[in-house]
Amino acid sequence: MIQFFQVTKRYPGGQTALDRVSFDIARGQFVFLTGASGAGKTSLLRLIFREDVPSEGQILVNGRNVSSIPPQKIPYLRRTIGVVFQDFRLIPRKTVFENVTYLPRILGTDLTSQKKLAYQALRRVGLAHRLNAFPLELSGGEQQRVAIARALINEPEILIADEPTGNLDPDLSWEILRLFLEVNLRGTTVLLATHDREMIQRVGRRVLTLDAGRLILDQELPGSDPPRLDLTPPEAFENDPAAARETAEEAAE
Amino acid sequence: MSFFQALRAFFREAAVNLARGWKVSLVAILTITVSLFVGGAFLLVSGNLLASVERWRGEMRIVVYLQPAMAEPVVRQLAAELGRGPGIAAVQVVSAEAARQRFQEAFPSLSDLVEGMGDEPLPPSLEIALADPARRTPELRAFLAGWRQRPEVSMVDDDREWLGQLETVVAVLRAVGLALGVGLLVAAVFTIGSVIRLTAYLHSDEISILRLVGATEFYIRGPFYAEGFLQGLIGGLLATGILWSGSAFLRFRSPDALLTQLFAAEFLTPGEAAALVGLGAAAGLFGAIASLRRERLTVTEEQAAE
Repeated sequence: MIQFFQVTKRYPGGQTALDRVSFDIARGQFVFLTGASGAGKTSLLRLIFREDVPSEGQILVNGRNVSSIPPQKIPYLRRTIGVVFQDFRLIPRKTVFENVTYLPRILGTDLTSQKKLAYQALRRVGLAHRLNAFPLELSGGEQQRVAIARALINEPEILIADEPTGNLDPDLSWEILRLFLEVNLRGTTVLLATHDREMIQRVGRRVLTLDAGRLILDQELPGSDPPRLDLTPPEAFENDPAAARETAEEAAE
Repeated sequence: MSFFQALRAFFREAAVNLARGWKVSLVAILTITVSLFVGGAFLLVSGNLLASVERWRGEMRIVVYLQPAMAEPVVRQLAAELGRGPGIAAVQVVSAEAARQRFQEAFPSLSDLVEGMGDEPLPPSLEIALADPARRTPELRAFLAGWRQRPEVSMVDDDREWLGQLETVVAVLRAVGLALGVGLLVAAVFTIGSVIRLTAYLHSDEISILRLVGATEFYIRGPFYAEGFLQGLIGGLLATGILWSGSAFLRFRSPDALLTQLFAAEFLTPGEAAALVGLGAAAGLFGAIASLRRERLTVTEEQAAE
Protein backbone atom coordinates (compact mmCIF):
# COMPACT_ATOMS: atom_id res chain seq x y z
CA MET A 1 0.00 0.00 0.00
CA ILE A 2 2.77 2.43 1.01
CA GLN A 3 6.31 1.57 -0.06
CA PHE A 4 9.45 3.61 0.57
CA PHE A 5 12.62 2.64 -1.31
CA GLN A 6 15.82 4.25 -0.04
CA VAL A 7 14.09 7.60 0.37
CA THR A 8 16.22 10.59 1.26
CA LYS A 9 14.90 14.08 1.82
CA ARG A 10 17.27 17.01 2.00
CA TYR A 11 16.08 20.57 2.41
CA PRO A 12 17.71 23.48 0.56
CA GLY A 13 19.63 24.54 3.68
CA GLY A 14 21.46 21.20 3.56
CA GLN A 15 19.56 19.63 6.47
CA THR A 16 18.77 15.96 5.92
CA ALA A 17 15.28 15.16 7.15
CA LEU A 18 15.22 11.54 5.95
CA ASP A 19 18.16 9.35 5.18
CA ARG A 20 17.71 6.24 2.97
CA VAL A 21 14.44 5.18 4.55
CA SER A 22 12.82 1.97 3.30
CA PHE A 23 9.68 0.21 4.52
CA ASP A 24 6.51 -1.37 3.23
CA ILE A 25 3.07 -0.94 4.79
CA ALA A 26 0.46 -3.45 3.66
CA ARG A 27 -3.18 -2.63 3.00
CA GLY A 28 -5.21 -2.53 6.19
CA GLN A 29 -2.24 -2.24 8.57
CA PHE A 30 -2.14 0.07 11.57
CA VAL A 31 1.34 1.54 11.96
CA PHE A 32 2.77 3.95 14.49
CA LEU A 33 5.52 6.27 13.33
CA THR A 34 7.53 7.50 16.25
CA GLY A 35 10.69 9.36 17.11
CA ALA A 36 11.79 12.50 18.89
CA SER A 37 10.88 15.95 17.63
CA GLY A 38 12.85 16.64 14.46
CA ALA A 39 13.36 12.94 13.74
CA GLY A 40 11.65 13.32 10.35
CA LYS A 41 8.11 12.08 11.04
CA THR A 42 6.34 15.04 9.47
CA SER A 43 8.71 15.07 6.49
CA LEU A 44 7.93 11.41 5.87
CA LEU A 45 4.18 11.94 6.04
CA ARG A 46 4.35 14.96 3.71
CA LEU A 47 6.05 12.81 1.11
CA ILE A 48 3.17 10.32 1.12
CA PHE A 49 0.49 12.83 0.17
CA ARG A 50 2.90 14.60 -2.18
CA GLU A 51 3.15 17.81 -0.22
CA ASP A 52 6.85 17.39 -0.85
CA VAL A 53 9.06 15.28 -3.13
CA PRO A 54 12.00 13.09 -2.09
CA SER A 55 15.53 14.15 -2.98
CA GLU A 56 16.39 10.52 -3.71
CA GLY A 57 14.57 7.21 -3.76
CA GLN A 58 11.08 6.15 -4.76
CA ILE A 59 7.73 6.17 -2.99
CA LEU A 60 4.82 4.03 -4.13
CA VAL A 61 1.35 4.70 -2.80
CA ASN A 62 -1.23 2.23 -3.97
CA GLY A 63 1.16 1.20 -6.72
CA ARG A 64 1.67 4.76 -8.00
CA ASN A 65 5.04 6.44 -7.89
CA VAL A 66 4.09 9.66 -6.14
CA SER A 67 7.28 11.53 -6.98
CA SER A 68 6.60 11.26 -10.69
CA ILE A 69 2.91 12.18 -10.56
CA PRO A 70 2.35 15.29 -12.69
CA PRO A 71 1.12 18.27 -10.64
CA GLN A 72 -2.36 18.20 -12.17
CA LYS A 73 -2.82 14.60 -10.97
CA ILE A 74 -1.84 15.27 -7.35
CA PRO A 75 -5.41 16.18 -6.28
CA TYR A 76 -6.61 12.74 -7.41
CA LEU A 77 -3.98 11.06 -5.23
CA ARG A 78 -4.98 13.20 -2.24
CA ARG A 79 -8.62 12.25 -2.59
CA THR A 80 -7.62 8.70 -1.63
CA ILE A 81 -5.73 9.82 1.47
CA GLY A 82 -7.22 11.32 4.60
CA VAL A 83 -4.92 13.55 6.62
CA VAL A 84 -5.28 14.66 10.23
CA PHE A 85 -3.00 17.20 11.92
CA GLN A 86 -2.13 18.05 15.46
CA ASP A 87 -3.63 21.53 15.10
CA PHE A 88 -6.89 20.22 13.56
CA ARG A 89 -6.81 22.72 10.66
CA LEU A 90 -10.50 23.52 10.85
CA ILE A 91 -11.77 26.75 9.32
CA PRO A 92 -13.19 28.77 12.23
CA ARG A 93 -15.65 30.76 10.10
CA LYS A 94 -17.27 27.60 8.70
CA THR A 95 -19.67 25.31 10.51
CA VAL A 96 -18.83 21.72 11.33
CA PHE A 97 -20.94 20.64 8.36
CA GLU A 98 -19.06 22.95 6.01
CA ASN A 99 -15.73 21.84 7.44
CA VAL A 100 -16.35 18.17 6.86
CA THR A 101 -17.92 18.43 3.40
CA TYR A 102 -15.04 20.02 1.49
CA LEU A 103 -14.27 16.87 -0.48
CA PRO A 104 -17.89 16.04 -1.42
CA ARG A 105 -18.32 19.62 -2.61
CA ILE A 106 -15.18 19.38 -4.73
CA LEU A 107 -16.49 16.16 -6.22
CA GLY A 108 -19.78 17.85 -7.10
CA THR A 109 -21.85 15.74 -4.74
CA ASP A 110 -25.39 17.03 -4.47
CA LEU A 111 -26.51 18.65 -1.24
CA THR A 112 -28.69 15.76 -0.14
CA SER A 113 -25.80 13.32 -0.47
CA GLN A 114 -23.50 15.81 1.27
CA LYS A 115 -25.87 15.87 4.23
CA LYS A 116 -25.96 12.11 4.32
CA LEU A 117 -22.18 11.77 4.12
CA ALA A 118 -21.63 14.46 6.75
CA TYR A 119 -24.11 12.83 9.07
CA GLN A 120 -22.50 9.42 8.64
CA ALA A 121 -18.94 10.70 9.11
CA LEU A 122 -19.84 12.76 12.16
CA ARG A 123 -21.85 9.92 13.64
CA ARG A 124 -18.74 7.74 13.48
CA VAL A 125 -16.93 10.28 15.65
CA GLY A 126 -19.93 10.90 17.90
CA LEU A 127 -20.62 14.45 16.77
CA ALA A 128 -23.68 14.15 14.57
CA HIS A 129 -25.47 16.53 16.93
CA ARG A 130 -22.90 19.33 16.42
CA LEU A 131 -23.37 19.92 12.69
CA ASN A 132 -24.39 23.53 13.17
CA ALA A 133 -21.64 24.40 15.60
CA PHE A 134 -18.57 26.44 14.72
CA PRO A 135 -15.17 24.92 15.58
CA LEU A 136 -14.47 27.44 18.33
CA GLU A 137 -17.60 26.31 20.13
CA LEU A 138 -16.13 22.81 20.42
CA SER A 139 -13.58 21.33 22.83
CA GLY A 140 -10.14 20.33 21.56
CA GLY A 141 -11.14 16.68 21.44
CA GLU A 142 -14.31 17.51 19.54
CA GLN A 143 -12.38 19.63 17.07
CA GLN A 144 -9.99 16.77 16.41
CA ARG A 145 -12.94 14.44 15.92
CA VAL A 146 -14.36 16.85 13.34
CA ALA A 147 -10.98 16.85 11.60
CA ILE A 148 -11.08 13.04 11.58
CA ALA A 149 -14.61 13.10 10.18
CA ARG A 150 -13.37 15.39 7.42
CA ALA A 151 -10.58 12.94 6.63
CA LEU A 152 -12.98 9.99 6.66
CA ILE A 153 -15.91 11.43 4.75
CA ASN A 154 -14.96 9.86 1.44
CA GLU A 155 -13.81 6.52 2.92
CA PRO A 156 -10.11 7.03 2.10
CA GLU A 157 -7.85 4.06 1.51
CA ILE A 158 -5.17 5.56 3.71
CA LEU A 159 -5.47 7.70 6.83
CA ILE A 160 -2.40 9.65 7.87
CA ALA A 161 -2.26 11.44 11.21
CA ASP A 162 0.52 13.73 12.33
CA GLU A 163 0.57 13.90 16.14
CA PRO A 164 -3.24 13.93 16.29
CA THR A 165 -3.22 13.76 20.10
CA GLY A 166 -0.39 16.24 20.60
CA ASN A 167 -2.71 19.03 21.76
CA LEU A 168 -5.05 16.87 23.81
CA ASP A 169 -5.07 15.66 27.39
CA PRO A 170 -4.55 11.91 28.02
CA ASP A 171 -8.26 11.02 28.25
CA LEU A 172 -9.08 12.75 24.99
CA SER A 173 -5.97 11.19 23.42
CA TRP A 174 -7.33 7.72 24.13
CA GLU A 175 -10.66 8.71 22.68
CA ILE A 176 -9.01 9.84 19.45
CA LEU A 177 -6.77 6.78 19.27
CA ARG A 178 -9.81 4.59 19.69
CA LEU A 179 -11.33 6.25 16.66
CA PHE A 180 -8.26 5.52 14.55
CA LEU A 181 -8.34 1.87 15.61
CA GLU A 182 -12.00 1.64 14.64
CA VAL A 183 -11.28 3.20 11.28
CA ASN A 184 -8.52 0.65 10.79
CA LEU A 185 -10.91 -2.18 11.65
CA ARG A 186 -13.02 -1.10 8.68
CA GLY A 187 -10.06 -1.75 6.37
CA THR A 188 -8.42 1.67 6.12
CA THR A 189 -4.64 1.68 6.31
CA VAL A 190 -3.60 3.97 9.16
CA LEU A 191 -0.22 5.60 9.67
CA LEU A 192 -0.13 7.58 12.90
CA ALA A 193 2.85 9.68 13.90
CA THR A 194 3.29 10.23 17.61
CA HIS A 195 6.02 10.59 20.18
CA ASP A 196 3.80 9.25 22.94
CA ARG A 197 5.68 6.05 23.84
CA GLU A 198 3.19 5.13 26.54
CA MET A 199 0.33 5.07 24.05
CA ILE A 200 2.34 2.91 21.67
CA GLN A 201 3.38 0.49 24.40
CA ARG A 202 -0.18 0.11 25.58
CA VAL A 203 -1.83 -0.35 22.20
CA GLY A 204 0.92 -2.32 20.48
CA ARG A 205 0.79 -2.74 16.67
CA ARG A 206 3.61 -2.16 14.23
CA VAL A 207 6.00 0.67 15.12
CA LEU A 208 8.46 2.46 12.83
CA THR A 209 11.02 4.46 14.80
CA LEU A 210 12.92 7.33 13.24
CA ASP A 211 16.02 8.93 14.66
CA ALA A 212 17.67 11.89 12.96
CA GLY A 213 16.02 10.94 9.67
CA ARG A 214 17.01 7.27 9.75
CA LEU A 215 14.64 4.35 10.27
CA ILE A 216 16.29 2.64 13.22
CA LEU A 217 13.58 0.22 14.24
CA ASP A 218 10.65 -1.57 12.57
CA GLN A 219 8.99 -3.80 15.14
CA GLU A 220 5.67 -5.41 15.97
CA LEU A 221 4.63 -4.76 19.59
CA PRO A 222 2.07 -6.76 21.54
CA GLY A 223 -0.62 -4.74 23.24
CA SER A 224 -4.30 -4.35 23.83
CA ASP A 225 -6.91 -1.97 22.49
CA PRO A 226 -7.89 0.86 24.81
CA PRO A 227 -11.29 0.57 26.46
CA ARG A 228 -14.17 1.31 24.10
CA LEU A 229 -15.55 4.79 24.58
CA ASP A 230 -19.14 5.74 24.27
CA LEU A 231 -19.25 7.87 21.16
CA THR A 232 -22.89 7.38 20.42
CA PRO A 233 -24.89 10.56 19.90
CA PRO A 234 -26.97 11.93 22.77
CA GLU A 235 -29.95 9.86 23.77
CA ALA A 236 -32.44 12.14 22.11
CA PHE A 237 -30.75 11.57 18.77
CA GLU A 238 -30.43 7.83 19.26
CA ASN A 239 -34.13 7.56 20.00
CA ASP A 240 -35.11 9.86 17.20
CA PRO A 241 -32.98 9.39 14.06
CA ALA A 242 -35.32 11.71 12.17
CA ALA A 243 -34.35 14.56 14.51
CA ALA A 244 -30.69 13.87 13.81
CA ARG A 245 -31.32 13.94 10.08
CA GLU A 246 -33.21 17.22 10.44
CA THR A 247 -30.28 18.70 12.31
CA ALA A 248 -28.01 17.60 9.48
CA GLU A 249 -30.30 19.19 6.94
CA GLU A 250 -30.53 22.42 8.90
CA ALA A 251 -26.77 22.58 9.05
CA ALA A 252 -26.57 22.03 5.33
CA GLU A 253 -29.06 24.79 4.67
CA MET B 1 -18.22 17.99 -11.01
CA SER B 2 -19.41 19.41 -14.32
CA PHE B 3 -18.17 22.75 -15.60
CA PHE B 4 -21.51 24.44 -14.98
CA GLN B 5 -21.81 22.96 -11.49
CA ALA B 6 -18.34 24.33 -10.79
CA LEU B 7 -19.27 27.77 -12.15
CA ARG B 8 -22.34 27.87 -9.96
CA ALA B 9 -20.27 26.89 -6.93
CA PHE B 10 -17.63 29.54 -7.78
CA PHE B 11 -20.16 32.36 -8.07
CA ARG B 12 -21.92 31.30 -4.89
CA GLU B 13 -18.60 31.30 -3.03
CA ALA B 14 -17.59 34.61 -4.64
CA ALA B 15 -20.89 36.22 -3.65
CA VAL B 16 -20.39 35.10 -0.05
CA ASN B 17 -16.83 36.46 -0.08
CA LEU B 18 -18.03 39.78 -1.50
CA ALA B 19 -20.68 40.07 1.18
CA ARG B 20 -18.25 39.15 3.97
CA GLY B 21 -15.45 41.45 2.80
CA TRP B 22 -17.64 44.18 1.36
CA LYS B 23 -15.50 47.05 2.62
CA VAL B 24 -12.44 45.90 0.72
CA SER B 25 -14.50 44.93 -2.31
CA LEU B 26 -16.17 48.34 -2.30
CA VAL B 27 -12.84 50.03 -3.01
CA ALA B 28 -12.30 47.87 -6.07
CA ILE B 29 -15.88 48.29 -7.25
CA LEU B 30 -15.77 52.08 -6.86
CA THR B 31 -12.45 52.31 -8.68
CA ILE B 32 -13.83 50.49 -11.66
CA THR B 33 -17.07 52.49 -11.44
CA VAL B 34 -15.17 55.76 -11.63
CA SER B 35 -13.01 54.64 -14.55
CA LEU B 36 -15.95 53.33 -16.54
CA PHE B 37 -18.03 56.37 -15.65
CA VAL B 38 -15.36 58.71 -16.99
CA GLY B 39 -14.88 56.66 -20.13
CA GLY B 40 -18.63 56.29 -20.57
CA ALA B 41 -19.27 60.00 -19.99
CA PHE B 42 -16.80 60.95 -22.71
CA LEU B 43 -18.39 58.37 -24.99
CA LEU B 44 -21.84 59.77 -24.26
CA VAL B 45 -20.86 63.41 -24.76
CA SER B 46 -18.83 62.79 -27.89
CA GLY B 47 -21.58 60.55 -29.27
CA ASN B 48 -24.19 63.24 -28.76
CA LEU B 49 -21.91 65.92 -30.20
CA LEU B 50 -21.24 63.77 -33.23
CA ALA B 51 -24.96 63.19 -33.66
CA SER B 52 -25.45 66.97 -33.59
CA VAL B 53 -22.68 67.40 -36.13
CA GLU B 54 -24.32 64.84 -38.36
CA ARG B 55 -27.66 66.61 -38.04
CA TRP B 56 -26.10 69.98 -38.84
CA ARG B 57 -24.16 68.50 -41.70
CA GLY B 58 -27.41 67.64 -43.45
CA GLU B 59 -28.64 71.21 -42.97
CA MET B 60 -25.50 73.15 -43.75
CA ARG B 61 -25.20 75.42 -46.71
CA ILE B 62 -22.79 77.73 -48.40
CA VAL B 63 -24.02 81.32 -48.55
CA VAL B 64 -22.56 83.93 -50.89
CA TYR B 65 -23.36 87.42 -49.57
CA LEU B 66 -23.44 90.06 -52.31
CA GLN B 67 -22.78 93.78 -52.12
CA PRO B 68 -25.79 95.81 -50.90
CA ALA B 69 -28.18 97.50 -53.34
CA MET B 70 -27.36 95.21 -56.20
CA ALA B 71 -29.85 95.17 -59.05
CA GLU B 72 -32.06 92.10 -59.25
CA PRO B 73 -31.10 91.10 -62.85
CA VAL B 74 -27.45 91.13 -61.83
CA VAL B 75 -28.26 88.98 -58.82
CA ARG B 76 -30.12 86.48 -61.02
CA GLN B 77 -27.24 86.41 -63.50
CA LEU B 78 -24.79 85.73 -60.67
CA ALA B 79 -27.08 82.97 -59.34
CA ALA B 80 -27.16 81.30 -62.76
CA GLU B 81 -23.39 81.50 -63.02
CA LEU B 82 -22.94 80.10 -59.52
CA GLY B 83 -25.33 77.22 -60.28
CA ARG B 84 -22.91 75.93 -62.93
CA GLY B 85 -20.14 75.42 -60.34
CA PRO B 86 -18.79 71.91 -59.52
CA GLY B 87 -20.96 69.88 -57.10
CA ILE B 88 -23.60 72.58 -56.80
CA ALA B 89 -27.13 71.18 -56.95
CA ALA B 90 -29.16 74.40 -56.63
CA VAL B 91 -28.84 78.08 -55.88
CA GLN B 92 -31.55 80.02 -54.11
CA VAL B 93 -31.70 83.78 -54.36
CA VAL B 94 -32.49 85.57 -51.09
CA SER B 95 -33.25 89.19 -51.82
CA ALA B 96 -32.43 91.98 -49.37
CA GLU B 97 -36.11 92.28 -48.54
CA ALA B 98 -36.46 88.52 -47.93
CA ALA B 99 -33.35 88.60 -45.74
CA ARG B 100 -34.89 91.35 -43.61
CA GLN B 101 -38.14 89.42 -43.25
CA ARG B 102 -36.25 86.30 -42.23
CA PHE B 103 -34.36 88.28 -39.60
CA GLN B 104 -37.56 89.74 -38.21
CA GLU B 105 -39.16 86.29 -38.03
CA ALA B 106 -36.15 84.72 -36.39
CA PHE B 107 -35.59 87.54 -33.90
CA PRO B 108 -38.91 89.30 -33.31
CA SER B 109 -37.57 91.23 -30.36
CA LEU B 110 -34.83 92.73 -32.52
CA SER B 111 -37.06 93.54 -35.50
CA ASP B 112 -36.91 97.25 -34.68
CA LEU B 113 -33.25 97.24 -35.54
CA VAL B 114 -33.94 96.70 -39.24
CA GLU B 115 -37.06 98.90 -39.49
CA GLY B 116 -37.11 102.42 -40.82
CA MET B 117 -33.56 102.51 -42.07
CA GLY B 118 -34.54 103.60 -45.59
CA ASP B 119 -32.50 101.26 -47.73
CA GLU B 120 -32.61 97.56 -47.03
CA PRO B 121 -30.08 97.00 -44.22
CA LEU B 122 -29.20 93.42 -45.15
CA PRO B 123 -27.49 92.43 -48.40
CA PRO B 124 -28.98 90.01 -50.91
CA SER B 125 -27.45 86.56 -50.89
CA LEU B 126 -27.20 83.32 -52.83
CA GLU B 127 -27.71 80.09 -50.87
CA ILE B 128 -25.98 77.10 -52.40
CA ALA B 129 -27.28 73.55 -51.92
CA LEU B 130 -24.64 70.94 -52.63
CA ALA B 131 -25.20 67.61 -54.35
CA ASP B 132 -23.25 66.03 -51.43
CA PRO B 133 -23.46 68.38 -48.43
CA ALA B 134 -20.70 66.59 -46.54
CA ARG B 135 -18.06 66.83 -49.27
CA ARG B 136 -15.91 69.73 -50.34
CA THR B 137 -14.01 68.71 -53.44
CA PRO B 138 -10.82 70.60 -54.33
CA GLU B 139 -12.61 71.88 -57.46
CA LEU B 140 -15.43 73.34 -55.35
CA ARG B 141 -12.98 74.89 -52.89
CA ALA B 142 -11.08 76.52 -55.77
CA PHE B 143 -14.34 77.68 -57.32
CA LEU B 144 -15.47 79.31 -54.05
CA ALA B 145 -12.05 80.88 -53.53
CA GLY B 146 -12.46 82.54 -56.93
CA TRP B 147 -15.87 83.89 -55.91
CA ARG B 148 -14.44 85.37 -52.72
CA GLN B 149 -12.24 87.61 -54.90
CA ARG B 150 -15.06 88.95 -57.05
CA PRO B 151 -16.10 92.62 -56.52
CA GLU B 152 -19.85 91.78 -56.45
CA VAL B 153 -19.27 89.46 -53.44
CA SER B 154 -18.84 90.78 -49.90
CA MET B 155 -18.43 87.39 -48.15
CA VAL B 156 -18.66 83.62 -48.73
CA ASP B 157 -19.82 81.79 -45.60
CA ASP B 158 -19.27 78.03 -45.52
CA ASP B 159 -20.86 76.13 -42.55
CA ARG B 160 -18.50 73.30 -43.32
CA GLU B 161 -15.54 75.26 -42.01
CA TRP B 162 -16.74 75.62 -38.42
CA LEU B 163 -18.37 72.22 -38.52
CA GLY B 164 -14.98 70.76 -39.42
CA GLN B 165 -13.47 72.53 -36.41
CA LEU B 166 -16.22 71.11 -34.22
CA GLU B 167 -15.54 67.63 -35.55
CA THR B 168 -11.88 68.05 -34.63
CA VAL B 169 -12.89 69.12 -31.11
CA VAL B 170 -15.13 66.05 -30.80
CA ALA B 171 -12.34 63.76 -32.02
CA VAL B 172 -9.94 65.27 -29.48
CA LEU B 173 -12.58 64.96 -26.79
CA ARG B 174 -13.12 61.30 -27.65
CA ALA B 175 -9.37 60.60 -27.68
CA VAL B 176 -8.88 62.32 -24.31
CA GLY B 177 -11.82 60.38 -22.89
CA LEU B 178 -10.47 57.14 -24.26
CA ALA B 179 -6.99 57.78 -22.86
CA LEU B 180 -8.38 58.83 -19.48
CA GLY B 181 -10.78 55.88 -19.40
CA VAL B 182 -8.04 53.40 -20.33
CA GLY B 183 -5.69 54.89 -17.73
CA LEU B 184 -8.32 54.66 -15.02
CA LEU B 185 -9.29 51.17 -16.17
CA VAL B 186 -5.70 50.00 -15.81
CA ALA B 187 -5.69 51.46 -12.28
CA ALA B 188 -8.95 49.63 -11.61
CA VAL B 189 -7.48 46.36 -12.86
CA PHE B 190 -4.57 46.77 -10.44
CA THR B 191 -6.92 47.62 -7.58
CA ILE B 192 -9.07 44.57 -8.25
CA GLY B 193 -5.93 42.47 -8.52
CA SER B 194 -4.73 43.69 -5.13
CA VAL B 195 -8.10 43.07 -3.53
CA ILE B 196 -8.23 39.55 -4.95
CA ARG B 197 -4.70 38.84 -3.74
CA LEU B 198 -5.65 40.12 -0.30
CA THR B 199 -8.78 37.96 -0.31
CA ALA B 200 -6.70 34.94 -1.33
CA TYR B 201 -4.31 35.68 1.53
CA LEU B 202 -7.19 35.96 3.99
CA HIS B 203 -8.46 32.59 2.79
CA SER B 204 -5.08 30.88 2.75
CA ASP B 205 -6.12 28.55 5.58
CA GLU B 206 -9.08 27.34 3.59
CA ILE B 207 -7.00 27.05 0.43
CA SER B 208 -4.52 24.79 2.22
CA ILE B 209 -7.41 22.54 3.32
CA LEU B 210 -8.85 22.48 -0.18
CA ARG B 211 -5.45 21.47 -1.51
CA LEU B 212 -5.12 18.81 1.18
CA VAL B 213 -8.43 17.15 0.39
CA GLY B 214 -7.70 17.08 -3.34
CA ALA B 215 -9.11 20.22 -4.93
CA THR B 216 -7.75 21.04 -8.38
CA GLU B 217 -6.17 24.41 -9.22
CA PHE B 218 -9.28 25.24 -11.25
CA TYR B 219 -11.49 24.62 -8.24
CA ILE B 220 -9.22 26.60 -5.91
CA ARG B 221 -8.79 29.62 -8.18
CA GLY B 222 -12.30 29.64 -9.63
CA PRO B 223 -14.01 31.51 -6.77
CA PHE B 224 -11.35 34.25 -6.89
CA TYR B 225 -11.79 34.68 -10.65
CA ALA B 226 -15.54 34.79 -10.15
CA GLU B 227 -15.09 37.43 -7.45
CA GLY B 228 -13.00 39.65 -9.75
CA PHE B 229 -15.58 39.19 -12.48
CA LEU B 230 -18.41 40.13 -10.12
CA GLN B 231 -16.58 43.21 -8.84
CA GLY B 232 -16.02 44.40 -12.40
CA LEU B 233 -19.57 43.60 -13.39
CA ILE B 234 -21.02 45.52 -10.45
CA GLY B 235 -18.68 48.45 -11.23
CA GLY B 236 -19.80 48.43 -14.86
CA LEU B 237 -23.47 48.28 -13.91
CA LEU B 238 -23.05 51.13 -11.41
CA ALA B 239 -21.20 53.32 -13.95
CA THR B 240 -23.82 52.68 -16.63
CA GLY B 241 -26.62 53.26 -14.12
CA ILE B 242 -25.17 56.58 -12.96
CA LEU B 243 -24.65 57.73 -16.55
CA TRP B 244 -28.20 56.77 -17.46
CA SER B 245 -29.61 58.53 -14.38
CA GLY B 246 -27.59 61.69 -15.07
CA SER B 247 -28.60 61.74 -18.71
CA ALA B 248 -32.27 61.10 -17.88
CA PHE B 249 -32.17 63.80 -15.18
CA LEU B 250 -30.86 66.38 -17.66
CA ARG B 251 -33.53 65.48 -20.18
CA PHE B 252 -36.24 65.64 -17.51
CA ARG B 253 -35.04 68.85 -15.87
CA SER B 254 -34.29 70.96 -18.94
CA PRO B 255 -35.13 69.08 -22.11
CA ASP B 256 -34.70 72.10 -24.41
CA ALA B 257 -31.47 73.43 -22.96
CA LEU B 258 -28.56 73.59 -25.38
CA LEU B 259 -26.39 71.57 -22.99
CA THR B 260 -28.98 68.79 -22.88
CA GLN B 261 -29.30 68.80 -26.63
CA LEU B 262 -25.56 68.72 -27.08
CA PHE B 263 -24.56 66.23 -24.42
CA ALA B 264 -27.54 64.16 -23.36
CA ALA B 265 -30.09 64.15 -26.16
CA GLU B 266 -29.58 60.40 -26.54
CA PHE B 267 -28.25 57.79 -24.09
CA LEU B 268 -25.73 55.18 -25.15
CA THR B 269 -27.03 52.52 -27.52
CA PRO B 270 -27.87 49.16 -25.85
CA GLY B 271 -24.75 47.74 -27.48
CA GLU B 272 -22.53 50.49 -26.07
CA ALA B 273 -24.07 50.16 -22.59
CA ALA B 274 -23.61 46.40 -22.69
CA ALA B 275 -20.02 46.88 -23.87
CA LEU B 276 -19.36 49.22 -20.93
CA VAL B 277 -20.69 46.67 -18.44
CA GLY B 278 -18.85 43.85 -20.23
CA LEU B 279 -15.64 45.86 -20.14
CA GLY B 280 -15.97 46.19 -16.38
CA ALA B 281 -16.53 42.46 -15.97
CA ALA B 282 -13.64 41.65 -18.29
CA ALA B 283 -11.35 44.06 -16.43
CA GLY B 284 -12.29 42.44 -13.12
CA LEU B 285 -11.67 38.96 -14.44
CA PHE B 286 -8.37 40.01 -15.99
CA GLY B 287 -7.29 41.67 -12.73
CA ALA B 288 -8.04 38.49 -10.80
CA ILE B 289 -6.24 36.23 -13.28
CA ALA B 290 -3.23 38.52 -13.50
CA SER B 291 -2.94 38.91 -9.74
CA LEU B 292 -3.03 35.16 -9.05
CA ARG B 293 -0.97 34.11 -12.07
CA ARG B 294 2.20 33.63 -10.10
CA GLU B 295 0.64 32.85 -6.75
CA ARG B 296 0.77 29.26 -5.55
CA LEU B 297 -2.18 30.09 -3.31
CA THR B 298 -1.05 28.01 -0.41
CA VAL B 299 0.59 28.36 2.95
CA THR B 300 3.74 26.78 4.21
CA GLU B 301 3.68 24.40 7.12
CA GLU B 302 5.20 27.10 9.30
CA GLN B 303 2.52 29.64 8.33
CA ALA B 304 -0.21 27.10 8.88
CA ALA B 305 1.14 26.24 12.29
CA GLU B 306 1.13 29.91 13.37
